[in-house]
Amino acid sequence: MDATQDRSNRLSVTRSGGQLITDYWDNLFRAREQGKQIVWYNGGALNPIFQAAGLAWCHGEAFAARLAAQRLEGPAQLAGAEYGYNAELCSYARTHLGCSVLTLQSTEGEHSGVVGINDSQELAARLPSPDFFVNNYAGCSTGQQWDGISFRVFGKQLPIFNISHPFLWGNKPDAGYLRGEEWESASRYVAGQLRELISFLEAQTGRPFDYDALIEAMTYIKRAAELRREGLDLCQAKPAPATFWDWIACVAPINFLPGDQALVDYFAGVRDEISDRLAAGVSGVRDEKYRLYFDGIMNWNKLGFLSRKFAEHGAAVLCGRYIHNAFWQEPQLIDTADPILGMAQHYLLCPTNHGAKTLDYLTLRDCREYGVDGIVFHSTRTCRAFTGPQRLLAKSAQDKLGIPSIFFEGDVADASFYKEEILESRLAAMLEAIDVRRARGGQLAGALSS
Amino acid sequence: MTGRYLGVDLGSTTAKAVVTDAGGVILAASTVQMGAVSQRGMQRAVDAALAEAGVTADDLDGTVATGYGRRLVPGVARTYTEITCHARGTAAMCPGVRLVIDIGGQDSKAITVDESGLVEDFAMNDRCASGTGRFYEVLARALECDLGELADLARQGGRDLEVSSMCATFAETEIVSLLAQGLPAADIAASVHRAIAARTLALVAQVGKRTPVVLTGGVARNRAAVHFLAEALGTEVRVPARPQITGAYGAALLAMESAGRPPAGRAPGQGDADTSVPLFPGPAGADRSCTNCDGTVAALSMPVVVIRDR
Repeated sequence: MDATQDRSNRLSVTRSGGQLITDYWDNLFRAREQGKQIVWYNGGALNPIFQAAGLAWCHGEAFAARLAAQRLEGPAQLAGAEYGYNAELCSYARTHLGCSVLTLQSTEGEHSGVVGINDSQELAARLPSPDFFVNNYAGCSTGQQWDGISFRVFGKQLPIFNISHPFLWGNKPDAGYLRGEEWESASRYVAGQLRELISFLEAQTGRPFDYDALIEAMTYIKRAAELRREGLDLCQAKPAPATFWDWIACVAPINFLPGDQALVDYFAGVRDEISDRLAAGVSGVRDEKYRLYFDGIMNWNKLGFLSRKFAEHGAAVLCGRYIHNAFWQEPQLIDTADPILGMAQHYLLCPTNHGAKTLDYLTLRDCREYGVDGIVFHSTRTCRAFTGPQRLLAKSAQDKLGIPSIFFEGDVADASFYKEEILESRLAAMLEAIDVRRARGGQLAGALSS
Repeated sequence: MTGRYLGVDLGSTTAKAVVTDAGGVILAASTVQMGAVSQRGMQRAVDAALAEAGVTADDLDGTVATGYGRRLVPGVARTYTEITCHARGTAAMCPGVRLVIDIGGQDSKAITVDESGLVEDFAMNDRCASGTGRFYEVLARALECDLGELADLARQGGRDLEVSSMCATFAETEIVSLLAQGLPAADIAASVHRAIAARTLALVAQVGKRTPVVLTGGVARNRAAVHFLAEALGTEVRVPARPQITGAYGAALLAMESAGRPPAGRAPGQGDADTSVPLFPGPAGADRSCTNCDGTVAALSMPVVVIRDR
């Protein structure tokens, strides 16, 4: 294989998404100067509520991912380590907590230890300090405590609002994906807390919440989510016109950009480019030979690298838990006239908040729909919430669909856990095994037809 | 066409080369110890095998490379991973094998194969040299013995001491600590072997235990390692006479099979996804599959040595 040849063919429209993201963060960095109140939060996409409340919002995971994608996470992680967070802590949280330390240092003018004044000029130090915190994390015990730790880093001086999410075990007789009493009662429970959050925000801002603004924002987001789903569904074609890596590039826009016409236009652009590719017979991977599922949070340091690596093998990574089972993935649940319940339901649908039975259903469903040949599990070193059920899913895919899988270790925002040769050897071995099965299947088919 | 095929396994610490004839019979094999993945070491191994077989590189009808350094081997028809090659070579040497455990210098793997010798599933050690040949080297150095003496020492050990570390480096610290407590070297050696067997067992658990079990790789030459692994698995563990060359042998067989078969026609619905050459004969045309093997390969190449538990 010629490793120097890039056989990936990423969507061009995602570049405009990159500009939207850059503009968003630049705007957030200036939020204080613009007289805006600032909320730091983690977990499900509360941004439409913050948008309606007239706030500027900072999603901690998103900023950690941005730093890692630009390979600028170092100063934040050093600051976090200096403060006392070691490398076994979720690298999203470790990076963002390091940002908290840097933000404090930049506002208080104190610099000590290994992270000094030069590092604090880095992107990692540019977050404006928060006015208060909101935690909206489902299915991950670290995520649920994350904003509480930030609250302590900032000296317990700022208000915090925590939303609690029941884990969707899915094992009662009537339980299933989007159905059953467990689902209904959990949805109502979280929706009730969102209404309490709105009261909390009214207290923080000193003004009544603008429900019309929420409806408007959620109308745009619902439309953007529908376009996203249309685009995802179009990628079931063989060969696929776009890949998982294109959808990874679309995570930030759907996850935290404001609900407005620009967001809708962006996803209309994504859907249209995919449609155009289908019409023209253009594929996301040149000479697609294999179709793969990717389970695990993104290894943000390695987005471009992994895109090229899989493409080198003719492997189109098409779908995955992080893309298909997150980020307003069920837009039909959103009633734009009263979006609170549908929003609560999406927060519950975090891909780490399901029992194995539901994850099994979702994973095998997507493997079937996309005609997947194999599964690649990114065993995300510091995200045990995501990796916990992966062995069960691998076994299920093998037993029920005959789909092989491999595991490789990496992390969301720490490249040191990734080892190139391990992924290369395992990926090549799985593809060879797929070749063998096909060759054998072809011979069997030939024998049967003769 | 001379009917000679070369398989090269350029591993992390050793280079192996095997030359076969057109019937898959091993004509020559060489193993060269080297510092790390080394083209010079690989060339020495190849030169030795070619000389023993009485052929030159120009006489070869096909070459396939495998191992960490497979992309460094010049003049190969194509490369395959160690997984595929170890499975292929072991299935040919030990017909009927269902679980291959390969423990090399830097990694260990468990591979389940079906009745035709095709890879069904595999698992590899995670992130360090835990449970690999390097681990034994660390132990031998700490106990001031060579690898041959280490096995004898371990077989004499009776007590089961706790050696819990997954990391070869930290395990050395544990060994030093045990020595500092004045504990017998034989007990320490036995305990470390048990710990490594337990790590291997965890690897096997990922793919499922099958029998017969064959152990390959350099560590298979360590009789104590085989003994403790058999004890941990609760079953006999078979070892080919030259367990280090199974990957290179598999590569040579793949070179032979690739050269001997015309490109396959495309199966309906598979399109560009088809391989140009089948890696293994399929059941429908199984003129040389392992289940349909006439025994020539095993009989003429490697006798199977069965080391029974206890």
